Amino acid sequence: MKISHIYVNLPVKDIAKTKEFWTQLGFKINEQISDEKAVCVILNENMFVMFLTEEFFQTFSERPVPKGDTTQVLITIGLNSREEVDNVVNTAVANGATQHEEAQDHGWMYQNSFWDINGHGWNVMFTDISQIPLQP
Amino acid sequence: MKINQIYVNLPVKDVEKTREFWTKLGFPINEQFSDEKAICVIMKEDHIYTMFLKEEFFKTFTDRPIANGETTQTLLAIGVNSREEVDDMVRTAIQNGGSKYSEPQDHGWMYQSSFSDLNGHQWEVMFADASQFPAE
Repeated sequence: MKISHIYVNLPVKDIAKTKEFWTQLGFKINEQISDEKAVCVILNENMFVMFLTEEFFQTFSERPVPKGDTTQVLITIGLNSREEVDNVVNTAVANGATQHEEAQDHGWMYQNSFWDINGHGWNVMFTDISQIPLQP
Repeated sequence: MKINQIYVNLPVKDVEKTREFWTKLGFPINEQFSDEKAICVIMKEDHIYTMFLKEEFFKTFTDRPIANGETTQTLLAIGVNSREEVDDMVRTAIQNGGSKYSEPQDHGWMYQSSFSDLNGHQWEVMFADASQFPAE
């Protein structure tokens, strides 16, 4: 089994602010499936995040939207260099996000993280597979 | 900005049962990134992965408590290659301990069905035929 694409759907309080935030990070918006209730951020050709107003999100689940005091998901996204990782996290923090953990350098993997303006957790990483340590 | 990989990280109670469930659905496992604390399900080789982490381990990556299953922070929509694959996956999920939380929806250009997995994470499985997308 192999999927063709993924849409991660997350609830937000304010669509316009969310759109502005993700645009600041440098991502494009799929306007065809965005409106006042939802914004579709293009992570790449087959990976997307749909941010939905809490009211709209609620119509897809019988369980309530959490108040932001718990975590059900953390999303890790891979970028193309250490510089991109730091740029995205620094831009996020400059635009209302909060730094999560300190950046971590594992040699083959460099990772930094932030909580976005809606409280969703993002790990941003750059991996260099050629540097992955061999298993014993 | 464009990412190259996404890892959706979700907490689970039992890694072994989770492995069995996703294997039944037909997905391969990345053993290099799997152990007794986490399992890495390959949804699209080199690009889309889901990491299921034991709650205790997941907890080490967030300063907020894990959602207790009574709320929904994320809905994960995954695209597959035909209507049959959509129905097969949902049927297999339900036969293996998943549950249904909404009815299949047929929008013509998009067919969608959904299931809640063993751990209560909600998946919307879809087949979209972009050529049938209604013109605006």
